[in-house]
Amino acid sequence: MRVGIASAGVVSPAGTGLAALREALANPDFAPKLELPRPDAPPLPVVACHSFDTKGLLPPLVARRLDRASRLLAVAVREALTAFGEPLPWPREEVGVAMGTWTAGTSPLLEILQAVFQLGPDQAPPMHFPNSVANAPASQVGILEKLGGANVTFFEKQAGGLRAVAEAFRFVRSKRLKACVAGGVDEAEWLNAECFDRLRALRTATRPGFTVGEGAAALVLAPEAPVLVLGAGAAGSPCPPYLYPSTPKGLVAACHRALGDASLAPQDVDLVVSLANGSPQLAALERQALVEVFGTHRPAVLGGPSERLGEGAYSSALRLIVAFLVFAEACPVAWPAPPHLANLGFPALGELAFPPRTALVTALAGGGSAVAVLLGLQR
Amino acid sequence: MAQVVITGVGLVTALGTSRETTWERLLAGETGIRGVTLFSPEGFRAKTAAQVDDKALDLSQVPPPVLAHASRASRFALAAAAEALAQAELMPEPGVSWAVVFGGGAAGLFEAEGFVERRLRLGPKARGVEAFVEVPQDAPADRVAAAWGLCGERITVTTACSSSTIAVGLGAELVRQGRAEVVLAGGADALCRLTFAGFNSLRAVDPERARPFDRRRQGLSIGEGAAVLVLESAERAAKRGARPLAAVLGLGITNDAYHMTQPEPSGSPWARTVRAALADAGMAPEDVGYINAHGTATEQNDSAEWAAYAQVFGDRLPSIPVSSVKGAIGHCLCAAGGIEAAVTALALCTGWLPPTVGCEELDPPCPLDPIPGKARRQQVEVALSSSFAFGGNSAVLVLGRAW
Repeated sequence: MRVGIASAGVVSPAGTGLAALREALANPDFAPKLELPRPDAPPLPVVACHSFDTKGLLPPLVARRLDRASRLLAVAVREALTAFGEPLPWPREEVGVAMGTWTAGTSPLLEILQAVFQLGPDQAPPMHFPNSVANAPASQVGILEKLGGANVTFFEKQAGGLRAVAEAFRFVRSKRLKACVAGGVDEAEWLNAECFDRLRALRTATRPGFTVGEGAAALVLAPEAPVLVLGAGAAGSPCPPYLYPSTPKGLVAACHRALGDASLAPQDVDLVVSLANGSPQLAALERQALVEVFGTHRPAVLGGPSERLGEGAYSSALRLIVAFLVFAEACPVAWPAPPHLANLGFPALGELAFPPRTALVTALAGGGSAVAVLLGLQR
Repeated sequence: MAQVVITGVGLVTALGTSRETTWERLLAGETGIRGVTLFSPEGFRAKTAAQVDDKALDLSQVPPPVLAHASRASRFALAAAAEALAQAELMPEPGVSWAVVFGGGAAGLFEAEGFVERRLRLGPKARGVEAFVEVPQDAPADRVAAAWGLCGERITVTTACSSSTIAVGLGAELVRQGRAEVVLAGGADALCRLTFAGFNSLRAVDPERARPFDRRRQGLSIGEGAAVLVLESAERAAKRGARPLAAVLGLGITNDAYHMTQPEPSGSPWARTVRAALADAGMAPEDVGYINAHGTATEQNDSAEWAAYAQVFGDRLPSIPVSSVKGAIGHCLCAAGGIEAAVTALALCTGWLPPTVGCEELDPPCPLDPIPGKARRQQVEVALSSSFAFGGNSAVLVLGRAW
């Protein structure tokens, strides 16, 4: 069975909805504000969804009982389902949810610990506890949208969103589900960002590194959709959970497995959506991996999603949405290929002489887990 | 499609830090629920939990660099993985593309809570930020892959209390679909103040100890631990002369789409999960000889769970032994499903069904056969292992006797 992406929805630092993302992609100078307040220290350079507001998008009483990550995801999923068209052609009990996250649940968790440490153990607020689990956004969406199929949250740090889409693809292909809403969600939370900063992983004015992001990316995966998921693959390079691996082997293996799953050769790939997030080490791993996978072939590279819109599990799913927009709508993208790939002759999307028909989207998590997904147009 | 078998099991629980001790004490009807010493329980409604004696963990097979900064949860996972590989008589060559599929829970949150407390009190220069590196829920899977140089897929499922049930099921699918030759599946979870405070705030804990299906039950007892199951194809196991403990026959995953913490009281959504699992396994309700229940000992869970089974099994339900291990090892949250799958596999393999520790006066609205007291000698062919989690994330595994 052929499975594809039928529709999408997004909340990102570019704004709420696909229209805001399209506008950002068309602007070569797009750079959202980098600022996340802390209670007792200067703000941190984080790209958050500053303009996000559920007014008119979620009923007020619903929005009030959801934590921020769940609100972000609920809005993105609603956009995706509305774009797909309702009523859905399947029983909602056979439609699932697969989400990846890196940071969902952090704010409720901090609220509880703050109460325990500062007020006393019996002061933990019960209403926050259910939202402190990382699967809360996906579960809340299941409840809100009455989607009763498999509801699974994947935690794979930066790769979680792409993992969720890969597994959703397999759920639908194996007929475990009729369709699946898949993607990723993350919330910007000051304690996480501060820890990354203190571990010297966060990009600052004086130091290279990645930028913590916030948002939700949702895709509806269904049989015979116009933009096909051609294949998926995953592998790992063992290393400590807080480091990138020293070699690109896992990323290379994931790409080869995805190509094998899609029955494609490397030369068949027209476009790569770069996973670069600002970390020099990740850029070096991507450069080595793409050279090993593609040899002398040079697909176009679309850079910037995770550098400009922030890193996270959500962002690995957002990269798929960007590819979906390029395929489904020939969405103009003015973001160049990142320097570490442009220097090797990988052209930007705008330099491609023909419309791309296949795209490779990858993710590599701290700890070394790698995922690759191939998209393509119906032929 | 390949049949998937379990050829090794590793267990870390409050009853013991090995499979043998856990199993022996479980069959004897003992409980590992006692006063918490990991942190001060003063001020909490319940002061008991099923805490692991982490000083007894056997980590001799784990390379020392992998243990640097490893959290309790990661160390539980590493000890369980070492034991499972030893039982399976497998020693992976570094670089082999075996997969790790775990359910992820609190991971290193207990260690990080100390830092959070200092950060809130002392400001942004508080010491101990390195504890943050083990907070990600996939850290135990990363550690296990690093310890044995495993380069296959690494998946961490986080669906609250059904996490590692789904992990075992998805791990079996990796083998069945040919995506991995061998999978280490299961999960680890560790006690921390967050979960302790959270369940206490919901008044979901029993101040003494959990009594699943007992009419006096007042809630769950929080536990911790790990289970790792070695999964491979029956063909591969036969070729290398390994003796399978049990087979993984099917997985049902559904969502109640009802409420974040409350089960739907009629049990219908959970009956749907059981039916989905049986359909995936190609089995009928008549084939099931034992159910390892979710059995949390909360008022709502146990009655909804009974109602679900009654819908699927009808008049036959009273004749099917149904036991919950949570009165013995507590509710190990994201590790619970993996531990219970391991226990179910051992039951199928040995012909001993574990008892429901703490169930002395069966609740009349839950007319089950809960195997009260001590274990029962009864060989069954097909068994279920059920998990019904926060967020309505329900999962049921169908396991079968391996021949």
